[in-house]
Amino acid sequence: MSNSQDMLNDFRWIMDVVQNVDVGLVLIDKDYNVQLWNSFMQNHSATHAEQIIGQSLFEKFPEIDEKWFRRKVQSVYVLKNSAFTTWEQRPYLFRFENYRPITGKAEFMYQNTTFIPIQGLDGNTDSICVIIYDVTEQAINNIELEKANDQLEIISKTDGLTGLLNRKSWEDILQGEYERESRYHENCSLLMFDIDHFKKVNDNFGHPAGDEVIKQTADIVKASIRKSDVAGRYGGEEYVILLPHTSVDCAHILAERIRKKVEARPAFYENQEIPYTISIGVAEFHSSLKNPTHWIDCADQALYDSKQGGRNQTHIYQYPAEASNDNTESSN
Amino acid sequence: MNQTVTLSEDHRDCLQEISNVAMGQAGDHLARLLDTFVILSIPHVAVLSPTEIAMAVQTVDDHSVSGVCQGFIGGGIAGEAMLLFNDTSFNDLATLLEYDEELTEASQREVLIDATNILVGALLRGIAEQMDIEFSFGPPAILGQHQELDKLLSSNSVRWNQALVVEVNYQIENHDVQCDLLVVITEHSLNHLLNKLNYLLD
Repeated sequence: MSNSQDMLNDFRWIMDVVQNVDVGLVLIDKDYNVQLWNSFMQNHSATHAEQIIGQSLFEKFPEIDEKWFRRKVQSVYVLKNSAFTTWEQRPYLFRFENYRPITGKAEFMYQNTTFIPIQGLDGNTDSICVIIYDVTEQAINNIELEKANDQLEIISKTDGLTGLLNRKSWEDILQGEYERESRYHENCSLLMFDIDHFKKVNDNFGHPAGDEVIKQTADIVKASIRKSDVAGRYGGEEYVILLPHTSVDCAHILAERIRKKVEARPAFYENQEIPYTISIGVAEFHSSLKNPTHWIDCADQALYDSKQGGRNQTHIYQYPAEASNDNTESSN
Repeated sequence: MNQTVTLSEDHRDCLQEISNVAMGQAGDHLARLLDTFVILSIPHVAVLSPTEIAMAVQTVDDHSVSGVCQGFIGGGIAGEAMLLFNDTSFNDLATLLEYDEELTEASQREVLIDATNILVGALLRGIAEQMDIEFSFGPPAILGQHQELDKLLSSNSVRWNQALVVEVNYQIENHDVQCDLLVVITEHSLNHLLNKLNYLLD
């Protein structure tokens, strides 16, 4: 067999591989005109090689961000080094619609792209090969995993019945806020309340009705607080609200507002009206506090005072007189 | 593999010299691409354990860094290059790479990836050329953003005891860009690398 025939054979199988390999191969010259367009590209873009070879890539595919693309290609020419982009930065280079009606979960093909320098016969880089990888499957799995993780994080932090934070995650936030307050001595208040005679609600109307009361109370809390306030379900019928940048007087106003709303709006369960009330304790941050638990204890003490005082009322925790509070000075 | 990594003085000097030459070329390429002068430190070559890496990185502020990794393999030598950016460098880095659009989270990641690819590619290409091999590169992957250095390094379980590390510091003139490039070559590749160095030393 002659030498030229060998070469022709070599060339034939190389072209076969290039055409049939399951990645997109595009060769572009220095003027961004297409020199090679393999089957993968033909099939997914519905553009035959004859229609694009010798033509500008940007004209045929306006979805390509020209400035970005030129910048990328330029670095390949100068550094003679590959460049990359992945679906996480740019979902795709060419917009190829999803072609699998049953198992295709994405709207379009997610792509990773590699740009490699191609040397001409003179040893200089005179064109660039763009390789397009279909990574839709991987991208979708990743996106779904992330979604699931976000969902799990929400579930692990919130209380299922009320949608408020659960005790553990609320306490984590309290810990952080306590540390900040210990350092900066700003106003911050803690509000703690529980539902009066909740056991009677359960006994008289049944547990599902009790659940409804707990849920409605949480809804009133959510509607009453600001974005920066942090509400949590502390125990069965016990609630806590952390109020950053809030003086004890403002906290008292909010507490009364919530208390009156609850008093004015009975819960309904299976057409039964369930009137109920809450008792509230408020404790401002104070420099004499030893730890976050101590702060909770103070609010709990004020809550106890409200219970002792006949329920359906708000009490503020009074710190002992000798314990001076620097945050009142700094706020003046 | 629990092989202890040792590096003779000659080998170390040779690798340092190769890195130095590669840095010179890289600096030249980068200056042309970025149209500015790049100040490169003298590469530092050492055998380190994973915990020592954090200590080796001196120039970036370790409270808030972003890290990007890029694997390379070729001629029997494999490893990963890790680039650590000072987070304060960010806007300057974007300007340098001509990202003048508003920086979204995705484009921030792209700036990191682009910068890594450029800086890593420039250096490793120079090293490979001198050893008469060619590396192929994987796409860069972001290790973490805006984290403390210790956390960044510990968040990935490391499966090696000791590795050969080449550390280079980049500064870019008139831009507040500071970054550290660590080329970590694994134990498995060491014999191949030493063979290449022997060949150069003869």
